[in-house]
Amino acid sequence: MKLLVVEDEAGLRDGIRDYFTEAGNICETVGDYQDALQKINVYRYDCIILDITLPQGNGLDILQAIKRSRYPDGVLIISAKNSLDDRLQGLDLGADDYLTKPFHLSELRARVMAIVRRKSFDGNQLIVFNEIQLDMLAKSVTVNDLAVKLTKKEYALLLYFIANKGKVISKNALAEHLWGDGIDLSDNFDFIYSHIKNVRKKLMDAGSKDYIQSAYGMGYKFSE
Amino acid sequence: MKLLDRYNRISLLVTVLVIIITGIVYYFTISYILTYQVDKDLMVEENEIFEEIKLNHRLPQVFKSEDLKINFQSVGQDSVQRRFLDTQYWDDKDHEEESGRGLISSVSLNGVNYRITIIESKVETEDLIRMIFFITLGIILILVVVLTLINRLVIRNLWRPFYLMLRQIKLFNVTDHSSINKLDTRIEEFKEMNEEVSAMSLRVRRDYEELKNFVENASHELMTPLAVINSKLDTLAQDHEITNKQGTLIGELYNSVSKMKKLNKSMLLLSRLENRLIQEQELLNLKQKVLEATGDFQELLTAKKLKMHTHLHDAQITMNKDLLDVLLNNLLGNAIRHNHPEGEIEVKLNPGVLTIANTGRPEELKSDLIFQRFHKSPESDGTGLGLTLAREICESSGYRLSYAYVNNKHTFTINF
Repeated sequence: MKLLVVEDEAGLRDGIRDYFTEAGNICETVGDYQDALQKINVYRYDCIILDITLPQGNGLDILQAIKRSRYPDGVLIISAKNSLDDRLQGLDLGADDYLTKPFHLSELRARVMAIVRRKSFDGNQLIVFNEIQLDMLAKSVTVNDLAVKLTKKEYALLLYFIANKGKVISKNALAEHLWGDGIDLSDNFDFIYSHIKNVRKKLMDAGSKDYIQSAYGMGYKFSE
Repeated sequence: MKLLDRYNRISLLVTVLVIIITGIVYYFTISYILTYQVDKDLMVEENEIFEEIKLNHRLPQVFKSEDLKINFQSVGQDSVQRRFLDTQYWDDKDHEEESGRGLISSVSLNGVNYRITIIESKVETEDLIRMIFFITLGIILILVVVLTLINRLVIRNLWRPFYLMLRQIKLFNVTDHSSINKLDTRIEEFKEMNEEVSAMSLRVRRDYEELKNFVENASHELMTPLAVINSKLDTLAQDHEITNKQGTLIGELYNSVSKMKKLNKSMLLLSRLENRLIQEQELLNLKQKVLEATGDFQELLTAKKLKMHTHLHDAQITMNKDLLDVLLNNLLGNAIRHNHPEGEIEVKLNPGVLTIANTGRPEELKSDLIFQRFHKSPESDGTGLGLTLAREICESSGYRLSYAYVNNKHTFTINF
């Protein structure tokens, strides 16, 4: 997976790069408008993570340049502005998704994975992780071809874990992914624990290995 | 008391007083002048009598006259003091007493003193004075009427710019975009006041907007460092050598960042609502929305062993879709958070009314406090903006959110 991060804030840029860089991933970063334009005109990316507010220009112009040239790159806009207008404008211009700052890197990764999957596996809507198989169309899960009945939220949780496999995901990120950040439940994370326990139990009952580990104090990790 | 009424009262009182005093002065002056005139007539008459006596050496023949009576009376050797006096006059024609003016004088004829009494009727003078009195009264009446009319029409008209301005000031609201318009008036005082008030309203609105923008900008600016902290935490959490103690610390940091993020978002949303920046509205199926929201919270209900009873009828609501989500999430989230384990939540939807009631601390909340910014119960770990936001969302959409403690349940009602 080849990514480009266009973000002027160095701290965030490097954070994203570190999180995404791993075997099989290339993550390039640029900090300003001109560099970004140069990059997108030369290289193709699976997904471009695009900040809207850049020092020398507007990220939306870069988006328009990409769309004008009919480049197939997926575009995910990140912006500190949460104005509904901005979001609509970005999506109207052809962005694949929109994420408001501040966000969890795990959320960004899940969104990027979704975009990349939509772009690259046309027709193939299966995600396979060892014995676990997710059908994106039917939103169903099988373990060794044995159907596992998950609730909508449990399915979303599993998908989120697989998109961030090998990463520690904070409880906050999980809660916000599943219930949105509109709700104020940070003082009560027990429900996440019980939620994860359910998913783990259902998977293991169907014959899956135990992939969900707890990272003490912080959250959970889905890995081999 | 209105300025106009007060002014009217004073001006009328003064006018009437002045007219009455004028009338009195008039009366005495004219009375004096007329009496002087009559006295002169009497003296002429007296002189004629003296001349007649001097010429004929006998008392003159007294003729009956319309308004004059002369009388001679012998007083022997007594002397008579010459004087004028107010007296009565018997009108033979009308057979009635009239007021008259008399002159008592004396003449000596053949060694005998005679008292001469000349009385002239003053009826004409009195008529004159009466006339003057009625004219004065008439003038008073006319003046009262005219002054009242002037006050009603002219002064009211003159004060119109003032009342127009007052109405504008009353309607002035710093949060909406109305301002106090310049009035077209030629009256210096009003013009000046209007200009000042108009300038002041602009100044107040500009200051208010600057403050609002400051809140919005500050919240925005905070988002980027928060994003950096969050991403650094995400990176840090991946470290394989993190101990349990460090893990707990990182978890706590996550919580604080998360809380700050929510606080910031709430503040932004509040300022956007107050600035009336969220305009888009649509007709939404509220039953559908409530079902989605309650469905979303299902896991949380199970985790806390809460029972949720829903009685939902079809209802539609016109508002912004995202705001409705925030509103329902806030209210339902509160109903769960502030509930005790194995408690109950009741959601009722009827056309025009949505109520969300939950068990919890068995004590009525102060409804005037709970909607205030940053007011929260000591044990709450929330932002303290949730209910403020909920109410602001309702109000900006033209609906009402209220709280009541009914049947041991904290009940929030939205009337739409």
